[in-house]
Amino acid sequence: MGTSRNVERRTILKAAGAGAAVFGLGATAGCGGNSGTSADGTVTIRYSWWGADERAKKINQTIQLFEKKYPKIKVKTDFQDYVSFWEKFQTQASGGNPPDVFQNAVTFLRKYDKRGVLLDLKSQIDAGNLRLDNFRAGVTKVGEVDGKQLGVPVGSNTMALVVDKKVFQKAGVEPHPGWTWDDYFKALKTIHDKTKVPGDTGYFSIMYLYDLYLRQNGKAFYTKDGLGFDKADLTEWWQDGYNRTKAGIITDPKIVAQDRPKSSLSAGHGASEFTWDNFTVRYTAEGDSEYGLAPIPTMDGKHTGQYLASLMLSASSRTQHPKEVAQFIDFMVHDPEVGKIMGYDRGILAATEQYDAFKPTDPVNKEIAQYEADTAKAGVLGTITPHPSGADTIEASFLRIGGDLGLGKVKTSDAVKQFFDEAQAAFQA
Amino acid sequence: MTLVKDSPPATRRARSAAPAADKRRGRRENLAGYLFMSPWIAGFLLLTAGPMVASLYFAFTDYNLFNTPKWVGLDNFTKMFDDPRWQKSVAVTAKYVVIGTPLKLLLALGVALLLAQSRRGQAFYRAAFYAPSLIGASVSVAFVWRSIFSDNAIVDRAMSAVGIHAGGWVGNPDWILYSLVALTVWQFGAPMVIFLAGLKQVPRELYEAAELDGAGAFRKFWSITLPMISPVLFFNVLLETIHSFQIFGSAYVVSNTYCGPADATLVYTCYLYQQGFKNAQMGFASAMAWMLLLAVALVTAVLFWSQKKWVHYEEDAR
Repeated sequence: MGTSRNVERRTILKAAGAGAAVFGLGATAGCGGNSGTSADGTVTIRYSWWGADERAKKINQTIQLFEKKYPKIKVKTDFQDYVSFWEKFQTQASGGNPPDVFQNAVTFLRKYDKRGVLLDLKSQIDAGNLRLDNFRAGVTKVGEVDGKQLGVPVGSNTMALVVDKKVFQKAGVEPHPGWTWDDYFKALKTIHDKTKVPGDTGYFSIMYLYDLYLRQNGKAFYTKDGLGFDKADLTEWWQDGYNRTKAGIITDPKIVAQDRPKSSLSAGHGASEFTWDNFTVRYTAEGDSEYGLAPIPTMDGKHTGQYLASLMLSASSRTQHPKEVAQFIDFMVHDPEVGKIMGYDRGILAATEQYDAFKPTDPVNKEIAQYEADTAKAGVLGTITPHPSGADTIEASFLRIGGDLGLGKVKTSDAVKQFFDEAQAAFQA
Repeated sequence: MTLVKDSPPATRRARSAAPAADKRRGRRENLAGYLFMSPWIAGFLLLTAGPMVASLYFAFTDYNLFNTPKWVGLDNFTKMFDDPRWQKSVAVTAKYVVIGTPLKLLLALGVALLLAQSRRGQAFYRAAFYAPSLIGASVSVAFVWRSIFSDNAIVDRAMSAVGIHAGGWVGNPDWILYSLVALTVWQFGAPMVIFLAGLKQVPRELYEAAELDGAGAFRKFWSITLPMISPVLFFNVLLETIHSFQIFGSAYVVSNTYCGPADATLVYTCYLYQQGFKNAQMGFASAMAWMLLLAVALVTAVLFWSQKKWVHYEEDAR
């Protein structure tokens, strides 16, 4: 009895000791997180982004360059995939502990501005810590909200039609600038008839594409503070989409669900997909075919409704080191070496120093550059649609409800009502 | 740590006739006990009790994580009943519980009955059947599940071989929930082990007496085995039902995080998660959480009430 009791005590003491150690560590970490300045004046800033390993490798190289040039600034990094990133960010930001600097996109800009999370970089620009010149025309506008500069573009992209070149060739379909929606849907049918592959993976649930279609018709997905279309518009758009899915020229949403997280285009279950032009890089890595870029179909043979969007770097309004953060952003968007490392990973390099420094050698990146040049030359690029607070949630709702509709599980009128209800809730949140 | 000092010593059990010195020692040991428990107590208060109290408050507010919570009374609760997706999530969860739990328990009982008879290799079979319960709840198994229930994967091929061309279950809103049911039924090992223990407790002489009276196998099962293991059965029903209501991980992973397609796997906790952490409707999500607690409490109460009718404890049986 006596010995077993001793053993027990010893075990318990050990456990208690371990517990105390954990508490101790927790306390230390808590203190360290707050300031980020150490005794010798070295400043630590936290930088997070979304992406995969490939992007992480490149970004870590660029951070090494930055730390070499600014030895007094240390950068701590963190990354997740897109969805997890924003869930984590929301939690961190609501707890008053967002990263000092982070990757951002236009759908999230007003949401986090409304919540006071984003730093207006104007003062840092005025102080000369961050340069906003030498950017591709109009692209810095993406980061502007109500006269504040809330983000600085690292790369810019436009919506495009990504096509499976082999399937298009086999069907003898040749997209051309200025082709109309009628041409496009006829092409999908030809592709399906000749190759048995559905022509498109589900155009009607992509918010950014519907935005372009509405812009071609003198509307837009959003106004400054709400939706820019009515229920009748959406009913028509979705009913057509549903009919085309039934006809087999759009990929069966059951297949799309199974292909996730891969795209049905790269999985070989669809011949084209509307998405951002820099996504050909991803699809080329994912799929077995060759992927190229085609023009957006039009109403009138000319206007595509396209605009330059971009991935940006934004800073936290709570950062203790606005100057260092501004220097970091400046380095990341302007330094030519950084441009050479990053390439078109986050879109066409936005600042001219980087754009000139990186000359793509592989066909995929060359085609992206060519596509952007052609689009710009055609003079079809307009001003970006405003994205009110809640646009991120609405994009997800549009995709989900559109997909449900394609499955035939919900009537079009119910789907439209559900979408408008959810949009309303998202604007108010 | 003030809590430890202030808390009344729980020494009711200490013998009242004991000398004072003994009492003091008892008290000291209690104090030590609380001290050793303090990491757990701190964790419980900070990570479980505190958040629960907070969520009870949030349930009655409009709270998006960033604003100051605004009191809205019962709005969140009334909103639920008008929300088609909430209704859907209740329907999906109910279907999962009502189909999955009985199937799992039936299989567990059936296999336990078979194993109880076998003399040889029982330990091996027990371990083999129990293994899925150990690994089944893991995310990696849910990933495997996702792939074996896809188009042209093993399940689709097996079914096509017998003439059922359903395609992959994972993309099919009419079938995907059954792949989750299959996943939970496959983990029947845990209740099975408990059934086995219960079966061992049934006195042999009851069967012998019944055999003398000419009772057949079914009669023996129905009149002896079932009443005798009914406390164990009750325990399993209770545990598995409560557990089923809380399904999240498998639905989240098998549907590749979006609990679709067409909300076919939108189980209650998944919708709660979407509202709370994706849409930042933390007030609504908190209200949903308390609603789930109420529902589970209600079901548990009904089960406890019903046990009078069908559960026989040993004293009654003899």
